[in-house]
Amino acid sequence: MSMDTSTVDPTSGEYVASTMSDEVVIELVQVNKWYGEFHVLKDIALSVNKGERIVICGPSGSGKSTLIRCINRLEEHQAGDILVNGTALDTNVKNIDAIRRDVGMVFQSFNLFPHLTILENCTLAPIWVKGMPKAEAEKVAMQYLERVKIPEQAAKYPGQLSGGQQQRVAIARSLCMSPNIMLFDEPTSALDPEMISEVLDVMVGLAETGMTMLVVTHEMGFAKKVADRVIFMDQGEVVEQNTPDEFFNNPKSDRTKLFLSQILAH
Amino acid sequence: MADTTQSDVVFRPKPSLPPPPNTVGVVGWLRKNLFGGPVDTILTIVGAWLIFTLFYSLYEYGIANAVWTANSYRECLDTVLPNGEKVGHNGACWAGVGVWMNQYIYGRYPDEEQWRIQLALALLVLWLLPFWLPKVEAKIQTGLSCVLTFPFLAAHLFLGGEASIFLMITSSIALALFIAVWLNVITSYAMNKSIGKVLVGVSGMADKDDRLHKYVLMAGFALLLVMSLIYVSSWDLPEVTTQAWGGLFLTLTISGIAIASALPSGVVLALGRRSKMPVIRVFCTVWIEMFRSVPLITILFMAVTMMPLFLPVALNPDKLVMVIVAVCIFASAYMAEIVRGGLQAISKGQYEAAQALGLNYWKMMTFIVMPQALKLMIPNIVGNFIGLLKDTTLVSIIGLYDILLMVKASGQDPNWLGLHSEPLLFAAGVFFIICFAMSKYSQHLERTIAGGYGRR
Ligand SMILES: Nc1ncnc2c1ncn2[C@@H]1O[C@H](COP(=O)(O)OP(=O)(O)OP(=O)(O)O)[C@@H](O)[C@H]1O
Ligand SMILES: [Mg+2]
Repeated sequence: MSMDTSTVDPTSGEYVASTMSDEVVIELVQVNKWYGEFHVLKDIALSVNKGERIVICGPSGSGKSTLIRCINRLEEHQAGDILVNGTALDTNVKNIDAIRRDVGMVFQSFNLFPHLTILENCTLAPIWVKGMPKAEAEKVAMQYLERVKIPEQAAKYPGQLSGGQQQRVAIARSLCMSPNIMLFDEPTSALDPEMISEVLDVMVGLAETGMTMLVVTHEMGFAKKVADRVIFMDQGEVVEQNTPDEFFNNPKSDRTKLFLSQILAH
Repeated sequence: MADTTQSDVVFRPKPSLPPPPNTVGVVGWLRKNLFGGPVDTILTIVGAWLIFTLFYSLYEYGIANAVWTANSYRECLDTVLPNGEKVGHNGACWAGVGVWMNQYIYGRYPDEEQWRIQLALALLVLWLLPFWLPKVEAKIQTGLSCVLTFPFLAAHLFLGGEASIFLMITSSIALALFIAVWLNVITSYAMNKSIGKVLVGVSGMADKDDRLHKYVLMAGFALLLVMSLIYVSSWDLPEVTTQAWGGLFLTLTISGIAIASALPSGVVLALGRRSKMPVIRVFCTVWIEMFRSVPLITILFMAVTMMPLFLPVALNPDKLVMVIVAVCIFASAYMAEIVRGGLQAISKGQYEAAQALGLNYWKMMTFIVMPQALKLMIPNIVGNFIGLLKDTTLVSIIGLYDILLMVKASGQDPNWLGLHSEPLLFAAGVFFIICFAMSKYSQHLERTIAGGYGRR
C-alpha cells in the first residue's frame, strides 16, 4: 500500500478503507482507576480488533489520556482486566515489557530525546531492547524516516527541528520497534495549524497500512476520514461509541450533542 | 505556503546602516564600560590606582626584593639590596621554598623512590589521553577501566614491599587494561580498526558469529593478564609506608580517589533515594542526610580515632586508608544531592517515552536520563570537586603531612625558623592553578557538550 498521501488533504476526501479483522488485540474488561480519591476511569469496557482505527474524544479531564496510558502501563489500573495481544497487564514485569515492545505511543509533547540525533532516537530502542545490530537498526530507521518524509534530518538534533517534524520523528521512532498497535495522545494539539496537516498525513498513511490505532484527538476531520469507531468519553465513562457517520450525524446522547455543537461551532 | 499573487504595494526592506561611531570597537567599549559618566570615570581611576599599587607591592615583595639563594632564613633577612638596605621582611625568601620544594611535593617519600610517583602520574595521564583522541572509540570503557582499576596499580607502586595477593591481582588487571587501551589506540590510528576487530581478524574468526568473537577477545585479554601478572610479581620495590607519604602527592591522592569515587557512588545513592523500594530508599536517605549534616573534620576524627576501636586489630587499619574512606563517604553524600537535583530537571515525558519504547529501568537511566542529567550538572559537579580538593587540607589537622602541614613544618625547621608567608603563598598558588584549571575545563565542557544539543 502506498504511503504517499501528500496530495490528499487529510481532513477531507475519501474514507480510508478499513482492513479490520475479527481478531481481538486489545480487551478491556470493567477497568477502573482512581487517582487517590478521584475516580478517573469508571467500568471501561472496550475491545479493539486487529487493524481497527479508533478515535477517542471528549472534554478535557474526561480520562482519555489516562485510558490509553493504561494500555501500555504508563498508568496502573486498580480494578478490571486489560489484555493486549492476549497478554494480561498485571504486576508481572515480563508481561509489561512484552506489551510495551508491541505497543507504540506518540505523545502530545513529542518527548524526543534531546541529547540524541534523530537517527539515534530511532535506533536506540531497536538496538537495546530488541538487540538488533546497529547497522540493521539504522537501515530500518532510515526507511521509516523516509516514510515520514524527513530522511534528510537524520543527523540533526530534535531541538533543530520544527514541531511538526519532531512529531513525525516521534512516530517513526515508535514504528522502528515494529509495533502492531499504535497509541496517539493528542499528537497534533501542540502544533501550529500548518504543521497539523503534515502529521495527520503521516497518520493517515499509517492507517492505510492496516495498523491498529487508538487516537485521542479533536481533529474531527481525521476521525471522519479514517476512524472505524469514534468513542466519546466524559467524566471517566464511555458515553457513546459509534461509526463516525452515525456519531457525527446522528448522536444519541444529549452530552454528545452538546460536545459536538461546541467543537464544531467554529 | 507562500502567497504568490501580485500586489500593488511592494515591500522593500531598508538597507542596514553601520552603527554610530564611538559605540563599537575599543573606544566604544571603553566609553561604555569604563567612562560612562563622572561616577564611572572616578571609580575607574580609583580602581586602576588600587590595582596598580597592589600589584606593584606584590612585585616588589615577590620579585624585585626577593632572595632566591640562601642557606637559612637569617641569611635571607640579612641580604643587602642594591640601595644598601637589608631585605628584612620587605622581600620574599624563595630560597627556603626552593630548599623545601621536594618535601612540599612528595612529603617524606624517599628521593630515590620518587620516580614511582612520577611513573604513576604518567600512567594516569596516558590512560586518560585517549579521551581527547578523536579516532579512538570506547571512551566510556576507557574511563571506567581507569577509574576502577588505576587506584590499585598506583597503590601497589606507591607502597611497594610485599604486596598482598589482592593488590597483586588488581594491579595486574589494571596494567593489562592499560596495555589493552593503548593497543586499541595504536590499532585505531595505524589500521583504523579497534583492537577487538584486529584480534578477531588475526584469529581468522571474522566470519564466525559474535559469541566466538567474544571468546577470542577473552582469550586475548587472559593472555595479557597472565603476562602482566608475571611481570607485576617480579617487581621488587622497597616498601614506603603511608607515614612517609605527604605533600602535594598526598593531597592529590586523597582528593583524587574521593573525586573518582564521588560520581559513581553519588549516582547510586541518588537513584536509591528515589527508589520505590522502602529499605533502599530509607538507607540512602539516612546515609545522605547523616553525612551531609556533619562537618568533614568530625568524620575524619571519628575515622582515625574511633573506627580502630571497633575494627579487629588483625585488619590493622591504616590511618590513611581510614581517612580516604571517610573523605569518600563525605563526598558521596554531597554528590548524591547534586545528582538528585539533576535528575529532577529531567521531564516526566522523557521517562514515559523511554518506557513506552520498552526500555527497562536501567537502560532508561543509562541511555536517556543520566546523560541528560549529568550534562546539566557539570558546573555543580566540578564546583563540588574543587571544594573537595580544598577540603582535603583538613587532614592536616589529624596529623597527615599533606601540602598544608608540610608548608607549616618548613617554618619550624631550625634553618628556616619563621619562614611562614612564602610557603603559604606557594601553596595558595598551587591550589589556585589546579582549581582554576578545573573550573576553566568545566566551562569548556559546558560549552561543548552541554550546549543546546546542536543548537549553538
Ligand atoms: N497523576 C495524576 N494525579 C491526580 N489526578 C490526575 C493525574 N493525572 C490526571 N489526573 C486527573 O484525571 C483526570 C483525567 O485526566 P486525563 O489526563 O486522562 O484527561 P484527558 O481526558 O486526557 O484531558 P485532556 O483533554 O485535557 O488531555 C483529570 O481530571 C486530571 O486532573
Ligand atoms: Mg490528555
